[in-house]
Amino acid sequence: MREEHTLGAPAEHGSTGAGTSGPGRVLVAVYGTFALAAGARAAVQISTRFGEAPVAYLLSAFAAAVYIVATVALARGSRGRRTALTAITVELVGVLVIGTLSLVDRAAFPDETVWSVYGQGYLFVPLVLPVLGLAFLRRRGQAPAQKSPPPKSPPPKSP
Amino acid sequence: MTPFLVGTITVVAVAVILLGLMSTVARRRIGLVHLVAAGLLEGLLLLQAALATAAMVGGDLPEDTPTFVSYLAGVVLVPVAGVLWARTERTRWAGTVLAVAGAVVGVMVWRLLQLWEATSA
Repeated sequence: MREEHTLGAPAEHGSTGAGTSGPGRVLVAVYGTFALAAGARAAVQISTRFGEAPVAYLLSAFAAAVYIVATVALARGSRGRRTALTAITVELVGVLVIGTLSLVDRAAFPDETVWSVYGQGYLFVPLVLPVLGLAFLRRRGQAPAQKSPPPKSPPPKSP
Repeated sequence: MTPFLVGTITVVAVAVILLGLMSTVARRRIGLVHLVAAGLLEGLLLLQAALATAAMVGGDLPEDTPTFVSYLAGVVLVPVAGVLWARTERTRWAGTVLAVAGAVVGVMVWRLLQLWEATSA
């Protein structure tokens, strides 16, 4: 028992159904970090020097919003699946488009956003994260429903 | 905001990362060891926040003060959030959640030092 107390109790298997458990929780932790980081960055940029680079700063705010939606949707587990899928797809497109644009036309991006140069300022995590997210959603979607009820089909409409 | 303190924090953050990953590999939830390590990390971050605040009150302001202050305040919340999010996790991934928090702290303190050294002097 002492060992369990010190080192931690043996882990349980599988997910507990409601909400997020297992590797999804790690993903939520990373997404939450980026939601905060991007949000704080956009807040600082817009409140202190919006006039310098309005487009870049609005993109920062947009990225922050995408991360926030993705975090909440992932944390909701199977109930947020479709929202998560949409948000993460937007994120992937965003990081690729903004990353490319920031390389092609540096003048248009005088200040960093989270997605500049494919997220270089954030150790390229913004580039890897949506790929991991989509892979996770795909895997969870394919896994046999463990304890969650099967997706409900819309009730048949009576003529 | 000294390189020494940042180095110390980094060492403790790496310890938190390793302990977290080890419990995932060992298929365990997090235990007292993890809480102690995260607590030590939090203590060091609070010390850093106090020292930096004292320096700023003394008129030693970094160039990008708003960003610096938001990092300084934000990094203090990370181990707390990590522990809360990991303790309620019943699978072996609890440790990895804590490891993420450790990694975030590790990156953030170096960014803080960078911001601090870019003084407007």
